[in-house]
Amino acid sequence: MSENFVAPGQQRYLRACMVCSIVMTYSRFRDEGCPNCEEFLHLQGSPDQIESCTSQVFEGVITLSDPTRSWVAKWQRLDKYVRGVYATKVSGQLPDDVRTTIEEEYRITYIPRDGSATEAD
Amino acid sequence: MASNAPFQFAGDSDSDDENFNPAPAEASDDEDAGVARNASRNDDRRASSPAADDDDDEDEVRPSKSASKRSRGADDEDDEGEEEEEEEDTGANKNGYDDDEEEEDEDDDDDDDVQHRHRRKRRKDHRAAFFDIEAEVEDEDEAEDEEKDGEEIEDFIDNAHPDDIAESGHLDDDRRHRQLDRIRELEDSMDAEKQAEILQLRYGKRAPARGYGEMAVVPKRLLLPSVDDPGIWAVRCKEGKERDVVFSIMRRIEERAGGKDEVPITAAFERGGPNSVMKGYIYVEARRQNDIMIALDGVLDVYPRSKMILVELKDMPDLLRVVKTPNLEPGAWVRLKKPAKHAGDLAQVVDVTENGLEARVRFIPRLDYGVRDDSITADGKRKRPGMPGPRPPQRLFSEIEARKRQPRYIQGNPQTNTWTYMGEDFENGFQVKDIKIQQLDVKDVNPTLEEVTKFASGSEDGTENLDLKALAASLKDSNTNVAYVPGDVIEVYEGEQRGVVGKAINVQGDIVTLRVSEGDLAGQTIEVPNKGLRKRFREGDHVKVIGGSRFRDEVGMIVKIVEDRVTLLTDQTHTEVTVFSKDLREASDIGGQGSLGQYSLLDLVQLDPTTVACIVKVDRESMVVLDQNGDTRQVMPSQIANKLPKRRTAVAADRNGSEIRLDDVVREYGGQQRQGKIIHIHRSYIFLHSNATTENAGVFVTRAGNVNTIAAKGGRVTNQNTGPDLTAMNPALKRNPAQNQMPPPKTFGRDRALGQTVSIRRGGYKGLMGIVKDTTDTSARVELHGKNKIINIPKNDLIFKDKITGKTIDIYSRGGRGGFGGPGRGGFSGDRMGGSRTPMGAAGGERTPAWGASKSTARTPAWGRAEASGSRTPAWGDGSRTVNPYDGNRTAYGDGNRTAYGGATSYGGGSRTPAWSSSAKTPAHDGFGHGSKTPAYGSGGSSDPWGSKTPAYGVSAPTPGATGGGSADSWGYTPGPIDAPTPGAGLSAPTPAALNAPTPGAYSAPTPAAVSAPTPGAWQGGWGADAATPAVGAPTPAASGGYYGAPTPAAYGGAPETPAASGEIRYADDD
Repeated sequence: MSENFVAPGQQRYLRACMVCSIVMTYSRFRDEGCPNCEEFLHLQGSPDQIESCTSQVFEGVITLSDPTRSWVAKWQRLDKYVRGVYATKVSGQLPDDVRTTIEEEYRITYIPRDGSATEAD
Repeated sequence: MASNAPFQFAGDSDSDDENFNPAPAEASDDEDAGVARNASRNDDRRASSPAADDDDDEDEVRPSKSASKRSRGADDEDDEGEEEEEEEDTGANKNGYDDDEEEEDEDDDDDDDVQHRHRRKRRKDHRAAFFDIEAEVEDEDEAEDEEKDGEEIEDFIDNAHPDDIAESGHLDDDRRHRQLDRIRELEDSMDAEKQAEILQLRYGKRAPARGYGEMAVVPKRLLLPSVDDPGIWAVRCKEGKERDVVFSIMRRIEERAGGKDEVPITAAFERGGPNSVMKGYIYVEARRQNDIMIALDGVLDVYPRSKMILVELKDMPDLLRVVKTPNLEPGAWVRLKKPAKHAGDLAQVVDVTENGLEARVRFIPRLDYGVRDDSITADGKRKRPGMPGPRPPQRLFSEIEARKRQPRYIQGNPQTNTWTYMGEDFENGFQVKDIKIQQLDVKDVNPTLEEVTKFASGSEDGTENLDLKALAASLKDSNTNVAYVPGDVIEVYEGEQRGVVGKAINVQGDIVTLRVSEGDLAGQTIEVPNKGLRKRFREGDHVKVIGGSRFRDEVGMIVKIVEDRVTLLTDQTHTEVTVFSKDLREASDIGGQGSLGQYSLLDLVQLDPTTVACIVKVDRESMVVLDQNGDTRQVMPSQIANKLPKRRTAVAADRNGSEIRLDDVVREYGGQQRQGKIIHIHRSYIFLHSNATTENAGVFVTRAGNVNTIAAKGGRVTNQNTGPDLTAMNPALKRNPAQNQMPPPKTFGRDRALGQTVSIRRGGYKGLMGIVKDTTDTSARVELHGKNKIINIPKNDLIFKDKITGKTIDIYSRGGRGGFGGPGRGGFSGDRMGGSRTPMGAAGGERTPAWGASKSTARTPAWGRAEASGSRTPAWGDGSRTVNPYDGNRTAYGDGNRTAYGGATSYGGGSRTPAWSSSAKTPAHDGFGHGSKTPAYGSGGSSDPWGSKTPAYGVSAPTPGATGGGSADSWGYTPGPIDAPTPGAGLSAPTPAALNAPTPGAYSAPTPAAVSAPTPGAWQGGWGADAATPAVGAPTPAASGGYYGAPTPAAYGGAPETPAASGEIRYADDD
């Protein structure tokens, strides 16, 4: 089954997670949550959270077949994530409280996906 | 004062640098010695200097603390070193610091550790503050001689509180310090490795969540691709379908996952987008190229079989480069993309949502307040929503208008001036709307000052509250487009070099090399990125607007400079405009007269073959010209056929016949009596420039024949006072000096043309019949028979018909016969105006009678005919001269003749002469050649003959006719020839032309001489006659009549074709 495939007609409902950059439709985020970040983002069944932690504005779609072996995944820091479709750039900023939470409670270094991180390199 | 001692030590150790290496291990190494030394020193100090502030608790603390310090030893360990350790305590004790430290600990090593702690000290608790204060005091002391200072301090402290040390003590502080000391000792005793372990234990206990951890730590540079990584190929795909393709690949991957035909690629991605340079490709990561073929085989819109490009290792990271979209800030300017009605409109960001994905913007609404809101169109069909139509103009929201038509839809608060109308929000006249950032153009907004000003003036109190900062920020993008060229004076307004002013000496890409001209760096050459630069001008500079401002190409002087806004006073319109300095450039064209391409103000240009015009205003893309008819019109450069170079040598004759040239000052004879300097002479039109009026840049146009010379350039003689007096040479004038003064047009009494039946011979109405209802000197209003319409037609284009017979008639000549006055005048006016003089002759007051006589007697028939047919021809024939020019008569006439004729010419008003001279005789032969006239003339051929000839003509009366008719023999026949041929021949047409012609120049030249010489004799007599006319009697008249009388009328009356047609033709020929 092809769960990550999104027909062109549905693509306008696509959103990208601001944390892991995975691209899915709004309904999937709502029904399943983010496959990588659900632990701390709690998107499932929470439209508000989806609204604030995922973005409709993203570009550069990547389809990852084998995250562990792919350099692209490694470069994008996606190599620990599940197979799926990701975005190279996700515009938007994670709300501060969410960001603080994941960094402090979950000890995760948040990587901004909107391009602000690359400038630091 | 607890810290005094340590600080003192620091001073002793004499090196702040070492502070950073207070390795615990080292300290412990030295421990013994250090302790010893410190002990002694501290003893002294403590004994004698128990701290300056003995009152304070700290003082009491001091003993114990300093004791502990001593024990710790380490001479070279300064206060900071100490504090680090203290910090560790606090760190250990206080959870509050955990968070901060976690991160740092992750990449801990010993050195780092120390430094981190140094840093941390700065933001520490109250104790830190305390130490710092003390340290400052101490630092001052340190600067002085140690020994001495030490003593002094000791004394000072001693005196202050001798007993404190022993007696006082706060248990709390004491305990803390002791505890601290213990811990320190412990730590000191451990080596670095152990410490690291402890730290690790203490802080490293948390494991990162799944999927994170190391990832965040590994810097990108360590992630760069290596040869072990799969390769990436760029594969062509259909533009715009990149994302679909990627998803299709995903589908395929998932469909085949787990099977034996698993898709052998590891990843695929696209970097498409309408503005991307990478559109049209997807990038596939795989081990082998063949894998890609397999993977993509059969996927829509992607073409793996076309050439695949292997991306080089070093380029791979660039494929995934992400550039941050600048954050929108409130106040920034954007352009709207989405509500179609507002596409392209400027908007200002009011607010941005937290996640930066949506912005509240305000913009000027485009409302029609329901005016065009009929959802049903005229033909009863429903309008389709979104149907393209003219969009309403931008206007601030008006409550009144909204209420007028759709009061139901509006609600709001007049106090705050916020409204909701048709579901849209309006504040202070602006529409306010939340818009997703995808629907905004954030880059290259380039707001123009005008647009922005609309927002500024929109504030309720009308004050300008232009947020220039935001504007400048919005312009920053476009700022990169600013082109600096070497030579520009540039100011650095941002960055380290801020304030530096210099002249650009080189510009390469984004880097501008400046030679600094002011300040400390003067004379140096520095390179700066063009980002923080702006052009610098001074008030009074003459500049030209070059940028995207609507004032482009204006030239003016700077009157005010505020930041990078420059106000200048334009040269052309004398209005003040404000533009950004980046849009300015030092103007090199000083005059500031605008020019457009090769055309500049006051140039003479050719609009079409018959129209010339003078440029009176130059705009940015078009210009305004004043054409020869006095009309102004706006034309594009492309509408201009070509530019007529100024002809310095151009000459025209004013109404007195005196020559006028460029730069002469002349005044109109009639009308507004405008006076001006001649800037162009084009045929009979002259363009004048006057400073008295600004209309059309002071330029006006008139005819050369309608001006009087006021002052000729260079004091050239005018005919009033001097040299060859043309008047004297002008037979016409001679004949009747009075005429000379006669005002030009003026007809007296009723125009004969009135009420005449005419047929139109040219133009769109050609061939139609009508009745003349009204006339002016040159044109007539004709009521058409056929159409119920009255039209204006130049008289020249009319053929007068007999009402009854329908025969063509010459009303003027007739009049001539009938009475002198009438025709004469007609003739005159015609001449003057039309430029054909001939009539004059006819008019020749006195002559007329003569003519009349002659006509009535002998000629009449001949004339009658001539006139009827076409008129003057015959006349000419007689006079021959006229004819000559055209037909080639000249030949016949020969030099002598000519001259004589020249006289005629002059009479002509100076027209033709040139024609004469130029075409001279040769043609004559041809024309008349057939007519054999030549011979006839021949006899008279020589100039001398003229004299004689004329008479001859006169005698034979008909002769003229003969001439026309052509054969010498025919003389006798005269009658015959006269009738038919002459007129028919060259005469009809050409004559007029001759007349019209501007010739003056020529005129002046040849004719006179000739005149004076040969003609005079013969003619003079005749003319002088004036009165002589009678004298001329029958015969002469013929000749002379030919000249003046006869022909003229024809020309006029017959008007038919001759005048007009010939006139034009002539021109063409002449030029």
